[in-house]
Amino acid sequence: MGQSDRDTGPSRRRVLIGLGAGVAGAFAQEAAADAPMVNDAPHGDAQTAAQSVPFHGPHQAGITTPRPAAGIMVAFDLAITGPEDLDRMLRLLTERAEFLTQGGPVPERDPRLPPADSGLLGPVVAPDNQTITVALGDALFERFDWLRPLKPAHLQRMVQFPNDALVAGQCHGDMTIQFCANLQDTNIHALRDIMKNLSEFLVIRWMQQGDVPPVPPAPDGSTPSARNFFGFRDGSANPDSNDAALMDRIVWVGAEEPAWARGGSYQAVRLIRNFVERWDRTPLGEQERDFGRRKMSGAPLDGGPHATERDVPDYARDPEGKITPLDAHIRLANPRRPETEKNLILRRAFNYSNGVTKNGQLDQGLLFICYQADLDAGFIAVQNRLNGEKMEEYLKPFGGGYFFALPGVAGPGDYLGSGLIAAARSL
Amino acid sequence: MVAFHLKTTALALAFAAGMATQGMAAEPTLDLVGPLSEYKLYVAENTAQLVTDTEAFVAAIKAGDVEKAKSLFAPTRMSYERIEPIAELFSDLDGAIDARADDYEKAEADEAFTGFHRIEYALWVESSTDPVQGYADQLLTDVKALDARINELTFPPEVVVGGAAALMEEVAATKISGEEDRYSRTDLWDFDANFAGSEKIYDLLKPLIAEKDPAFVTKTDANFKAVDDVLAKYRKDGGYVSYVELTDADRTVLSTRVNTLAEDLSTLRGMLGLN
Repeated sequence: MGQSDRDTGPSRRRVLIGLGAGVAGAFAQEAAADAPMVNDAPHGDAQTAAQSVPFHGPHQAGITTPRPAAGIMVAFDLAITGPEDLDRMLRLLTERAEFLTQGGPVPERDPRLPPADSGLLGPVVAPDNQTITVALGDALFERFDWLRPLKPAHLQRMVQFPNDALVAGQCHGDMTIQFCANLQDTNIHALRDIMKNLSEFLVIRWMQQGDVPPVPPAPDGSTPSARNFFGFRDGSANPDSNDAALMDRIVWVGAEEPAWARGGSYQAVRLIRNFVERWDRTPLGEQERDFGRRKMSGAPLDGGPHATERDVPDYARDPEGKITPLDAHIRLANPRRPETEKNLILRRAFNYSNGVTKNGQLDQGLLFICYQADLDAGFIAVQNRLNGEKMEEYLKPFGGGYFFALPGVAGPGDYLGSGLIAAARSL
Repeated sequence: MVAFHLKTTALALAFAAGMATQGMAAEPTLDLVGPLSEYKLYVAENTAQLVTDTEAFVAAIKAGDVEKAKSLFAPTRMSYERIEPIAELFSDLDGAIDARADDYEKAEADEAFTGFHRIEYALWVESSTDPVQGYADQLLTDVKALDARINELTFPPEVVVGGAAALMEEVAATKISGEEDRYSRTDLWDFDANFAGSEKIYDLLKPLIAEKDPAFVTKTDANFKAVDDVLAKYRKDGGYVSYVELTDADRTVLSTRVNTLAEDLSTLRGMLGLN
């Protein structure tokens, strides 16, 4: 039945167009022909589908790359025993990631065999801003004598913070892959490709899908930050990811790390449930005081009526927290003092919606992801300052972990983690 | 047995003739006739064993002997689990014999929940054979019906060849987490039987693919060995220890090998020219 529906749609329109040509009422006929039909696909955008992020470079894409609308974070357990297995896996993963991020036609096979590709994106895979970012976990380094000595200096197992309620199956992992693209289907296609091609090496431990709502530009041409599921703009005070020197300082690890790791970055992932029903029943003034910003504009609380989220709060003029409470989320997270400069992190979060809890409440929240050059000075220091914040009444972290995003793939012939493999072999 | 053999042969011949006209890569040949009749024999041996074992299992339940019934539960299921791809062709019997509580809206309390797992629930959770006297009789009737129907069946070649992968899909999708034998924790017995059933089909077909694709055979042999090596660690007294003793690391190894076997064995039909 579905097949016949699809067959009659376009042919009916062709007939209408043919009838309309050269007769009175042609415009009306053509308008009817062009009117969208119930089973037409939503209109895609060929321009955004063609957007691609370069795969080669000193750093992996998907870290300082502008965040597209859709993301999935997947943590894996790896079934490997020695450097040879890890080497084979990383080479194969590099090969798949390069294809999936750059796009191209999928191979054809004898139809008596299962197809090589899931077909979700059709015969030609469009890059669609796909990035695939691979990071290794503390668990992997700790498991093997041949990896332990090469562990990045700050990599560690995530431990429970006071407000956390960690679920074992939603935490840690040997490896994460962060998939980002304009459309979630593009990410799902990439995940399925990797699962199919690397089945001998990996099993999914947990995964979380998320989205960022596209935001129209502001009247002045700037792009406002997207809103999280608390309704607040999220990411307002993020460091400028186009400032390479700043990224070298805040995001990319340098000389203090093992040579193989340089150009990589620490990835902290936190799955944070938001109690949205309760939040929506909280007075607006309290929401703004707890967060530290105006809800609609995103402006800091000490800004004037025309202030925007780009305005910088002046805490020095408000030492007692009469305007921005001392325990407001943004003030604790970034106190904007010279000594807290080293705690800056690059946030790259997505909103998630996972259905409903057994209590009938919405299971929504934040797939928090951040990158930093020093995990201790970055996320861990910031979270320790946030412990006990007012917002804890409305949020509950339950999963995630700490990982190390590998350095980039320098060019053709290189592969993800090649430096790590070489170092492991020369131990 | 002779009658079945002839039926299978005739079918395979007809099938081979039909496919030969399509002119695609590999063509199914008369080579499949031997493996198919061998497999039919294997299935017949297993269903006969299933009837014998179920008779003893049901007798223990009728006698109210919970401990004896418990000891017979896992071994009795083995011959069913080895031939699941064929047993599943009869969905009414498969449901009655092997469904799980989650297949029913009211779970364990659902009247329609019958068979091995309803009895398993009685033995391990209700600790009594009283609630399942009727279900035990029904199980034996169903198992005998299955045996009779399978003996009458002409085996579809694509089901037999596809069965090697299907058994791995079963384990990957619905068993690896330990949900099959959730009350008795005898899941590892089922894994063993599913792997054996898959490997039997693969072994019968191996001579047909060994020359065409030696790399496939090397890799698949290694993966079957890998799952067997993991299971071997958990063997005890002719059976298996509880599923809860399976370590996370071993489950990861099993899961990756099972998925890769499912992935690779799913190409067997195409390799042998079956649609």
